[in-house]
Amino acid sequence: MDLFENLRMAWRTIRGHRLRSTLTTLGVVIGIGSVIALVTLGASLQGAIIADVAAGPSNGGAAGPPKMTVGSQLQSADGGSGEGGGGLAVFTEYDIQQLQGTEGVETVVPQGSVSLSSVTYSGQPVAKSAMTATTPAYFSQTGAGNFSAGGPFSPGEQEVVLNEAAATMFKQNVSVGDSITVTRSGGERINATVLGILEGSSSSSEFGSSDDSLPPEIYGPTDPFYQTQLVSPATGENQRVYSQLTVVAVDHDQIDPVSKRVTDYFTADSDAQRLLPSSHGVSVQVVDESVRQMQSLVSTFTSVVTGIAVISLIVGAIGIANIMLVSVTERTREIGIMKAVGFQNRDILQLFLVEAVILGLAGSVFGIIVGVLAGYSTTAFLALPFIFPIEWAGIAVAVGMFVGVVAGLYPAWNGARIDPIEALRYE
Amino acid sequence: MSVNERTNQAAVTVQDVRKTYQVGEPVHALDKVSLNLKRGSYTAVMGPSGSGKSTLMNLIGCLANPTEGRVIVNGKDVTQLSSRERTRLRGIEIGFVFQTFNLMPRLTAQENIVQPMVAQKVSRSERNERAKQLLERVGIGDRADHRPNELSGGQRQRVSIARALANAPALILADEPTGNLDSETGANIMELLSELYEGGHTILMVTHDRDIAEHADKIIHLLDGVIEREEIVDSPVRPTVGGGK
Repeated sequence: MDLFENLRMAWRTIRGHRLRSTLTTLGVVIGIGSVIALVTLGASLQGAIIADVAAGPSNGGAAGPPKMTVGSQLQSADGGSGEGGGGLAVFTEYDIQQLQGTEGVETVVPQGSVSLSSVTYSGQPVAKSAMTATTPAYFSQTGAGNFSAGGPFSPGEQEVVLNEAAATMFKQNVSVGDSITVTRSGGERINATVLGILEGSSSSSEFGSSDDSLPPEIYGPTDPFYQTQLVSPATGENQRVYSQLTVVAVDHDQIDPVSKRVTDYFTADSDAQRLLPSSHGVSVQVVDESVRQMQSLVSTFTSVVTGIAVISLIVGAIGIANIMLVSVTERTREIGIMKAVGFQNRDILQLFLVEAVILGLAGSVFGIIVGVLAGYSTTAFLALPFIFPIEWAGIAVAVGMFVGVVAGLYPAWNGARIDPIEALRYE
Repeated sequence: MSVNERTNQAAVTVQDVRKTYQVGEPVHALDKVSLNLKRGSYTAVMGPSGSGKSTLMNLIGCLANPTEGRVIVNGKDVTQLSSRERTRLRGIEIGFVFQTFNLMPRLTAQENIVQPMVAQKVSRSERNERAKQLLERVGIGDRADHRPNELSGGQRQRVSIARALANAPALILADEPTGNLDSETGANIMELLSELYEGGHTILMVTHDRDIAEHADKIIHLLDGVIEREEIVDSPVRPTVGGGK
C-alpha cells in the first residue's frame, strides 16, 4: 500500500474517533509541552544571566568584562591562585605577546607588584609596602573602575594613578596634578605626578560604594616603576616578568574557548612553564565564575524538571499504545476484510503504525505550540527575555515520531498477524 | 489469460484435501475431498452447517492451508506458496462475495471498491476510473460517495460484488450471497452473478438454499466433511438482467 493511501486511511480513522484521538494526543501534548516550556524557561533564564553580564557593572550587571586572571600557584594548593600579585613573577613579555596574538583575546594586561617602603606627599611620608605596576589598558579594559578625576598614566612616564583611599591617606588630600614621592624598599626615590584618581569601588558594584573599606592602592606604568626581570627562555633576552596577567576576551561567549587556549598555551611551550619551579603550575581563573556557576545551576535545575516532564511523555506513549490496542481489537473484522481482498501483513502493520505516528506527531506539534506559549507567558511574567531553543522543536518532532513508533509497534504487529478467517467471523 | 477463455483447463483443483482441527480430539472438517472446477463454470456447494462448506471455501480462497492434500488455483499449488505469495494470489485471482457484505464501514462505496486495487498498487487514476465502471456495471453508479450504512442491503451486496471484480479475478467465491437479503433483492443479486458467469468468470457459491443453488451448472453436496454427491443441474436458472426469473 502506498504511503499516501495509508495516510488517508489512518487520518480517516483518527477523525472517525475525534474525542478519543484528542484525548490520546493530549498525553503527548502535555509531555512535549512541559518539556518545551521548561527548556524555553531555562534558556531564557540563562539568556537573562548572560545579558546581565554583558551589560557590565556600569549598567548594574553582575560582573565586568569577559576576563580571566592568569597566575601561578602551588600545584597541590587549593585556592590562593596568586591573586594580588602574590604568585611568582614568571610571565615574560614574550608570553604576553604570544597571548595577545591568540584568537579571541582582546587584550592582555600584565600586573606586577613593586615593593615600597613609603610614599611621601607634601613632606608627609606614609608607610606603604607595595604598588601595582601595569599598563593603561588596566583601567580601560579590565573594569578596574572609573576615574573620579583625571585619567590613566602613560607608559614610560613618571606618573601614577591613586584610588580614592590612597588619595585620602595623607593629612592633605591628593588631587590630580600633584606630585608624590615613592620610596622603593631599596631606598630609591621616584617622584611621580598624580594623573588620575579612581572611584572608590573597584570591579564589583555589588560591594557597595563604601570607599573606606578598600585598601589604598597606587598604580604606575611598568616602565619605569617595575624592575623585576628575567632572561626569557624563548628569546634569550632580559625581559620584565610579571606575577599576574589579566586576559580579556572579545566577548562573553568566547570566555570558555579563550580560557582553554590560554591554558593550552601555558601547558605547552611558554616561558612561564619553563621558569616555574616544578612544584608550581599556571592557573587560569575565569573571573565571572559565579555567573557560570549560576548558569550550571540553572541548567541542572532545567534538566531535573525536564526529566520529570519526560515521565509524562512516557505516560502519553502508554496512552497511545493502549488506544492502538483497542483500535486493533475494534477493527479486527476490517483487518480480516483487508486481508481477504489482498492486503499483506506488512500493509496492516504499516497502517496501524502510521496511525500511531500521526498521533505522536500531532501530539508533538501541539505540544510545541503549548510549550512555547507557556514558556512565553512565563518569561513575560518574570520579565525575562524570551529565548526558544529552536533545535528543541526538531527534537520534539523526532521524539513524537519515536513515541508513535514505539507505542504503535506492538499493537500493529498484533493486528498484522490476525488470522483472516477468525477476523471475518469476529463480531 | 482472458477470463473469457472458456477451456477445459481447471480453474481450481482440490486433491485429497483434509483439514483437521484440534479440538480435544482431532476433528476432520474436510476429509479426503477432491473436486475440479472448470474454467468458466458455475458451481454451488450445499450442505447443512458443519458439513465443511466454509472450510472448503477458505481453502480455495487461499485464506487457510489444508492439513493434507493440495489446492491448485489457476495452475498454482497454493500449499507450496509463501504466505505473501498466497495473499497476492488471493488479491489478484480471487474475488470474495460475503453473506454479510463485509464492507469497510468508514469508506464510501467507491473507496471500498478501490481497496483490492490499492493492495495491488494500481495507480490512483486507474483505480478510480475502474471503480466508476464497476459501480455502473453493478447498477449503482449514483451511489459512489455513499457509505455502507447509507445503502440498502442489496446495494451493499452490489458494492461487495463490484469490489470482488476490482482486480478482474478469474474466480468469484460467493458465500451465501443472498443470505442476508429478502428474496426479491436476492434475485437481483443472482441476476448479477449470472451475468458474471456469462462474462466468463468461474463462480463457486456456497448456499443452503436449493432455489439459489439451481442457478449453477453443478451442485456439490457436502456432508460431514466428505462429498456426498455431485449433481448436474439439468436446466440451471439463468435470469436475464432486469427480466426477473
